Amino acid sequence: MTASGSGQAPPPKKVIPDPVFNEKNGRLLKDTRYWPTEVWANPWASPAYRRGAMLLIGIIGAIFATGWMIGELAPLGDTLYQLIASVASAGGLPQTATEATWIMIKALIILHVVLINGLWAVWWERKISAHIQSRVGPTYAGGFHGWAQTILDGIKLLLKEDITPAVADKWVHALAPAIVVVPVIIAFAPVSFGSQLAAADIDVGVLYIFAFAGISVIGVVMGGWASGNKYSLLGGLRATAQLVSYELPRGFSVVPVIMFSGSLDLSVIAHAQAGYWLGFIPKWFIFYPLVGQLAFIIFLIASVAETNRTPFDIPEAESELVSGFHTEYSGMKWSMFFLTEYGYVLLACFLLATFFLGGGAAPLPGLEIIPSWIWMLGKAMAMMFVFLWVRWTFPRFRADQLMDFNWKFLLPWSFANIAFAAAALLYLS
Amino acid sequence: MIAYFRTVFTAAWALLQGMAITLKYLFKPSITIHYPTEKLVPYEKFRGALLFDAETCISCNLCVKACPSACIQLENATNPQTKKKIAKVDWYSIDFGKCNFCRLCEEVCPTKPKAVWHSLDYEVVFYTRDEMVRCWKAGINYIGKYWNRKEKIFKDPEGQISIQEVHSRR
Repeated sequence: MTASGSGQAPPPKKVIPDPVFNEKNGRLLKDTRYWPTEVWANPWASPAYRRGAMLLIGIIGAIFATGWMIGELAPLGDTLYQLIASVASAGGLPQTATEATWIMIKALIILHVVLINGLWAVWWERKISAHIQSRVGPTYAGGFHGWAQTILDGIKLLLKEDITPAVADKWVHALAPAIVVVPVIIAFAPVSFGSQLAAADIDVGVLYIFAFAGISVIGVVMGGWASGNKYSLLGGLRATAQLVSYELPRGFSVVPVIMFSGSLDLSVIAHAQAGYWLGFIPKWFIFYPLVGQLAFIIFLIASVAETNRTPFDIPEAESELVSGFHTEYSGMKWSMFFLTEYGYVLLACFLLATFFLGGGAAPLPGLEIIPSWIWMLGKAMAMMFVFLWVRWTFPRFRADQLMDFNWKFLLPWSFANIAFAAAALLYLS
Repeated sequence: MIAYFRTVFTAAWALLQGMAITLKYLFKPSITIHYPTEKLVPYEKFRGALLFDAETCISCNLCVKACPSACIQLENATNPQTKKKIAKVDWYSIDFGKCNFCRLCEEVCPTKPKAVWHSLDYEVVFYTRDEMVRCWKAGINYIGKYWNRKEKIFKDPEGQISIQEVHSRR
């Protein structure tokens, strides 16, 4: 500590400009009073901002690389299948043994899609929510922008005590997370990750996905009931009301897409959107005038509601019910609920990309060199960004507003949309 | 009918405006200070840890009287020849366990520059209870020392990190 002389000159006072108001209506145009405007004046001067830009490039590159890896590893599946078949025939096993092993391997891959998506999406959500709120999010774990944060959180959750409340119905309480998480893994079976890349080619894929996605609500209600807690019970009841209601516009908004493509098979729906109008507008369903946009918006809103995310998170409303149906869960049981939430987000993203954004089709004629799995993953991730963006922008609906919005707005408009699509099919084709 | 569509479009436009604002803030640099590695310097009137200058102090006891939580103690120095009190401090101590950072001691201090004043250090951290009582004598620098009861010596405070090297004094 160096001794300082007396009578130092005071540091120069910062000149803070006055806020700018609109003369006529008095609305605030430029707020200068409380914000550290000098931080924002020249963002590129700060090394942290340049690192953030590098992170963005890194994320896009990682999506690209992951898509490329999926495409490169997909042909290995055929080799693996041949190998299993040859081993089975050498051992004198029947054909069903080969098929069973192959299905188990595919199920394992799909399971890991859900798990790895959990790791990735939690980290991404934390980063995006942080930057929307001018924070930085996880920074230290792993060294580079806190990439290992979710892994460490997962280890922490594994080590946490698994608490079952004394008044809980123990069996139902333990079964609820399983009932919640299993349908999301099953529902991923017909999702196509690119052209010719689906675990199961099911002709009624859309119906299958919606049917299985609807089962999870039973687990939510079970969790809410079995916790022996009024908040949990209320959360479970709200979840039932919300999820069952929003199933309807979600299903009906896809009907125009099915009418135009003439199939419930996801790969056929994606394939129906290949080609371009006027040589450069892709024939995606989102670009069908009026019908496509309406269906897209209704499906997006209903998907956000189905995943219990913020504008529609009345089942786990933090300020009203402590955290709703998973108040009494801890450790891995709790993280099962979260895994399910992010699994459904990914499912909804892939469905949005398949139904409305052309699946693996390139957005411009010259871009077909980039393979379809990269486009598919990129579109799904863009949709996931929209999910997170919506989540961190809007406040929560009130329970009655939520029901009003569904039954008085989304459902009538999805019916009207089916009528528009039918009229277009009848008179324009 | 027109009113219905107007409501729908105003609502949708409001939602889009909200999303535009969050997107704008997403790409703005964050204002977070990464605390242990980056540190903000507080404003001029911030009341941080107290510092003391034994050379300036005239041992007038005003700060001891002004202190509402009675955390300051001092003793006059005496002239060794005449055995009379002189306007110098022999030792001076502030108990940070009691101090409520009110600046009354600095306000009453009659010397110019002030003999006791608030620095801008907000990291007033103590590893042991002994460190809470800071002592000053002639020759000890502004941040002071504490009496380590185990080792029976004066030691520099370990917990407190100095953010600013030079502190402004009025």
